[in-house]
Amino acid sequence: MEFKLEAHRIVSISLGKIYNSRVQRGGIKLHKNLLVSLVLRSARQVYLSDPCPGLYLAGPAGSPAVPPPPPSPQQQQQQQPGEPAAGPPAGWGEPPPPPPAARAAWPEPEPQPQPQPERPAAPVTGAGDAPRGGEVEAAEAAWRRVEGAREAAEGGAAGPAGGSDGFPEGPRGARRQCGCPPGAEDRPGAPGACPRLACCAPRPAEDEPPAPPAVGPRKRGAAGVGGGPAGGPASGSSPLKKPRRNSEEQPGGAAAAAAEEEEMETGNVANLISIFGSSFSGLLRKSPGGGREEAEGEESGPEAAEPGQICCDKPVLRDINPWSTAIVAF
Amino acid sequence: MKCFSRYLPYIFRPPNTILSSSCHTEADIISTVEFNHTGELLATGDKGGRVVIFQREQESKNQVHRRGEYNVYSTFQSHEPEFDYLKSLEIEEKINKIRWLPQQNAAYFLLSTNDKTVKLWKVSERDKRPEGYNLKDEEGRLRDPATITTLRVPVLRPMDLMVEATPRRVFANAHTYHINSISVNSDYETYMSADDLRINLWNFEITNQSFNIVDIKPANMEELTEVITAAEFHPHHCNSFVYSSSKGTIRLCDMRASALCDRHSKFFEEPEDPSNRSFFSEIISSISDVKFSHSGRYIMTRDYLTVKVWDLNMENRPIETYQVHDYLRSKLCSLYENDCIFDKFECVWNGSDSVIMTGSYNNFFRMFDRNTKRDVTLEASRENSKPRAILKPRKVCVGGKRRKDEISVDSLDFSKKILHTAWHPSENIIAVAATNNLYIFQDKVN
Repeated sequence: MEFKLEAHRIVSISLGKIYNSRVQRGGIKLHKNLLVSLVLRSARQVYLSDPCPGLYLAGPAGSPAVPPPPPSPQQQQQQQPGEPAAGPPAGWGEPPPPPPAARAAWPEPEPQPQPQPERPAAPVTGAGDAPRGGEVEAAEAAWRRVEGAREAAEGGAAGPAGGSDGFPEGPRGARRQCGCPPGAEDRPGAPGACPRLACCAPRPAEDEPPAPPAVGPRKRGAAGVGGGPAGGPASGSSPLKKPRRNSEEQPGGAAAAAAEEEEMETGNVANLISIFGSSFSGLLRKSPGGGREEAEGEESGPEAAEPGQICCDKPVLRDINPWSTAIVAF
Repeated sequence: MKCFSRYLPYIFRPPNTILSSSCHTEADIISTVEFNHTGELLATGDKGGRVVIFQREQESKNQVHRRGEYNVYSTFQSHEPEFDYLKSLEIEEKINKIRWLPQQNAAYFLLSTNDKTVKLWKVSERDKRPEGYNLKDEEGRLRDPATITTLRVPVLRPMDLMVEATPRRVFANAHTYHINSISVNSDYETYMSADDLRINLWNFEITNQSFNIVDIKPANMEELTEVITAAEFHPHHCNSFVYSSSKGTIRLCDMRASALCDRHSKFFEEPEDPSNRSFFSEIISSISDVKFSHSGRYIMTRDYLTVKVWDLNMENRPIETYQVHDYLRSKLCSLYENDCIFDKFECVWNGSDSVIMTGSYNNFFRMFDRNTKRDVTLEASRENSKPRAILKPRKVCVGGKRRKDEISVDSLDFSKKILHTAWHPSENIIAVAATNNLYIFQDKVN
């Protein structure tokens, strides 16, 4: 349990660092971000591999973001918003109402109007699959272990656990099995349990290991989902998605990181919103260039400038509610 | 173990910073310190892109006991902040490294680099000026040729010594990532610059192209696992160089083997101690500095908690490991939070390769005598250092009862860190940069 709290805390800190690295002078430092992403990954693995059923507490019932089965990964992602991090006292509170909607919007920031959690297009997850490295498999393995434990434990868990497991990562496969019903009661074989915990862990971007922190989530949001240059499969992407996506969105710790944020307690969330909000426009401006030197995921890297990509998203992003905007920015 | 005394407090910045070190501006923070090959000159670079060169006074016969002091010789702005419009990136003007070229004529040459651009500076003295031009008057205004009735030959007249620095070469646009090291080759014709993923070889005369000799950028950036953290040429063999990585490994490369030295000749790595594993194991194993010994036989590496000496002939483990501040091992999480765990400490050899020195927190710096295995912790601070005073060894109390002179780990000031130090090439004179102050210590004269 303590490991989980510690891991959660470290994840929060790491995310903050990743964010700050975007706004500091001199551009993003590859070395530091690489190290932070390694820490993020370690913390995530510890978190995933340390199942603590007691942490999976009930989340807000009737989360609007819960999509009905079949559980496409995207949908499962979108259930994310509905899951309050009701777990450990370390800071699992219920996310404010905007986040769930925002979270749903997370995978496809650009065109879709806000809270359509059921949007099947969560290309982010799809896209995120492709370029993942070995760490993803490890994460998935860890996730499956955790899921197994949860499923066993959830018999007694009250209601939709939602996000007590802050780690969004998880193998899609597991998610798919889970089929994330809107409420615990729908879940076969898990009366009152919150399947959401197992399957609805924050998906957006979480497929990506915390490797490329800062870049991932932001790019994902901004560039939309959909196969990027990295070759993320655009299958399942909504036609509205931008076909081009920064490779940085790929297995990114950033994605996971962003997802992690969503799991944090309300207080943290509010802080993050205020942080993001104040620098949001700056972030957007910086994103095309600022992302040049990020750690992994930066395929096009500094050699390719794609400033236009972000600019196009601006108006769309601004239409989204602040929370999703913040996540996207990050 | 030699005793070091504070010969003279060289405060690098204007007096108002003497009152409180928190008064200094960010731009005044010293970011690199380097003696030249004779030790006559000491160069410092700061975050504001300025270079200040100190010169040692010639020892006078009258005062044989008074060793030469270092006085400011030249100050110039080496780099300015830039903006990369294409990538919307601001390029910091902070001087990351300064390296001297060996002196070949009356002028001094040094390389200074920021994140993206290396510059070759010529520092020369002017103590005469020509007077008596025919076509110009003394103020430089052109004279009307019609008024010239006689011709004279201009003569050189002495003037007050002026030291001028001119940029002779600018080596730009060769690095996508942040330059962390430069190293002059022993052939004195080439040098290398290293960034996070690539190392380039330059010829001093050619600025519009460089050879890429190391490239560890993966085809898919998502697979990136390590970056280059430091690189240095072998002091005698112009074909060999080493570079260190964020994974705690060092690679020795031979440029004769192939044009692209991605394959190393030797690979130095110590197996990790599994009992020390933590969230931060990877961060603290990242090497922040690598230095060849003067003999060329050993390399020294600095990671967050230790300094290691490696024999070039033994790749599987270092021959010596010195704990710099092991008491921080239990505080890694806090140090991660306040970003101190990312501090990049440098390390230096003394002239005879018998003593190594590196910095720590609370303005402490440590010296390790490789022969006697003794070590000492000293502090660079105004309060503790009067001129001619002998530096008192400091001690950090790890636990239990704290003795009178000791300082407890929790009292350490982590904002006062000594990242950059330099050792005179032949004498026991050290330069220690403590934030915005430069301390020069000298061996006690008996």
